[in-house]
Amino acid sequence: MKIAVIGIGQSLRGDDGAGLEAVRQWKENFPETASRPEVRAEASELPGLALMDLIQENDAVILVDAVRSSAKAGTIHHIEPGDLSTFTSDSQSAHGWGVAETIQLARQLNPALKNHPIKLIGIEAGQMAMGSGLSKPVQNAMPLACCAIQTEIEKLL
Amino acid sequence: MTTIEVPALARVEGEGGLFIKLENGQAVEIRLDIYEPPRFFEGFLRGRFLQEVPDITARICGICPVAYQMSSAFALEKALGIEIFPQARALRRLMYCGEHIESHALHIYMLQAPDLLGKQSALELAAVAPDIVKNALRLKKIGNEILKAIGGRSVHPVNVCVGGFYRWPDAAALKALLPDLEWGLDAAMDSVKWAITLPYPDLEIDYEFVSLHHADEYAVIEGDVWSSKGNKVSIADYETRYIEEHVKHSNALHGHTMDGNTYLVGPLARLNLNHEQLSPAAQKALKDSGIKLPLKNPYKSLIARAIELVQFYEEAIRLVEAYKPEGPAHVELELKAGEGAGATEAPRGLLYHRYKIDENGLVQFARITPPTAQNLPRIEADLFALAPQIVKLPEEEATLTAEQLVRAYDPCISCATHFLKLKVEENRE
Repeated sequence: MKIAVIGIGQSLRGDDGAGLEAVRQWKENFPETASRPEVRAEASELPGLALMDLIQENDAVILVDAVRSSAKAGTIHHIEPGDLSTFTSDSQSAHGWGVAETIQLARQLNPALKNHPIKLIGIEAGQMAMGSGLSKPVQNAMPLACCAIQTEIEKLL
Repeated sequence: MTTIEVPALARVEGEGGLFIKLENGQAVEIRLDIYEPPRFFEGFLRGRFLQEVPDITARICGICPVAYQMSSAFALEKALGIEIFPQARALRRLMYCGEHIESHALHIYMLQAPDLLGKQSALELAAVAPDIVKNALRLKKIGNEILKAIGGRSVHPVNVCVGGFYRWPDAAALKALLPDLEWGLDAAMDSVKWAITLPYPDLEIDYEFVSLHHADEYAVIEGDVWSSKGNKVSIADYETRYIEEHVKHSNALHGHTMDGNTYLVGPLARLNLNHEQLSPAAQKALKDSGIKLPLKNPYKSLIARAIELVQFYEEAIRLVEAYKPEGPAHVELELKAGEGAGATEAPRGLLYHRYKIDENGLVQFARITPPTAQNLPRIEADLFALAPQIVKLPEEEATLTAEQLVRAYDPCISCATHFLKLKVEENRE
């Protein structure tokens, strides 16, 4: 089984870079899993429609991205594709192709993907101002985010 | 006085807001507020070595990085007084075909067509017409594959350098694209047939169209700057007729002609000025469409893009078939102080660069005039023309109609996050 772990976000927009940082730290803390041949880890600033290819090329995909809901900054969300509409983006990526829309589009166009495991680990963002660096609550949530990634992978392996 | 704020225009590139003030059924003020911070590329290019410029300026846009590489490379080659090898020139055109293909396929199907069909997004379109969206994504992907084969990756490709290319791309990798390109040409022909069936709002504007023109080819990378008002200047003289100025409400400069008129760049301008240079299949697509030129309806730039899609697919096939890398991929540079201008046709229109360099090849001065800066005043003027129709509509519909017009231009305000808010202020006193 080919599994892709994809950190998504913009590192120059504060907590928007949480997904990238979580995947980076997970690779550091779980090197045995991260180096397995069937596991591929990627950092993707703004995948846009290219995310469709990543979904189709792999048997399972774990996406790690910053999200915004009414939860406290640093809260880790486990989001199933069915719940994605809750997180439909306000066109935060090039030409309006956010993660939620792209997954929906992929599933709409390719019904076989309905059974394709897609897990989204969402990290509640605090501030998304210009500039690099995560806010304190999001920094503190990184170990939890890494464990969430590891748990999802272990379920799949 | 009523103020209406609607978070709106997704599917454009960059951060901006639209402000419309109506009084007694008339628009008295229309502004495209571009509040996205200026990016100072022209400032931080100063002091950089000329060979860094194509890849730095490419970062201005994720949708049309090749355009920035091309205009900057040609400008700097002019400054050094060198000409690239014929095969390198052909390869630049091929690379540009890839960019036009991916940008146009995206805009036609994913950004503008949903508007015309009354859908909120391409997702809704995919629900009722999945095959159209699947084909659109394939059409787009093939464009990205060309970029990958030449430039190593499908977004922000590298390999273009001042003097040509760093290395010749693998001929086998390019030839392997031919079956997809052949499919793409057929699908592009179908795109034109489909495009003319779409419902377009009625709006005809007496534009001054401006684009590059080249006697022997559909102008993309070189030529003279032609205007539909009859004016013709060389690229080197572009700034004697076309200037940019700062306006208070916009962090993007506004372009106009020296005598203060707005003008339009982009696919409509290219098609209207250069249809005689279209490739045979694109000529046929145009003829079969029954479209009469000049096309003056801004919404119908979608049709112009579809015809160009045919042009660039057909040209890509020809260029791939003829690709024969021999000898060095770039001319060796002899550094000297100089100044040079370059202009190419980005998917959204004419993109002009000018650089001054010193004897060590370091940039002393840079000027970059992107297509959207030239079109911004024209978009505002179009909205004025549209206003009498807008005021009669219910609020939601009025907003959507204005957004659709802006979106028809495919404006590229920047490549970061983006959000456009429409604010209509109505004074009924």
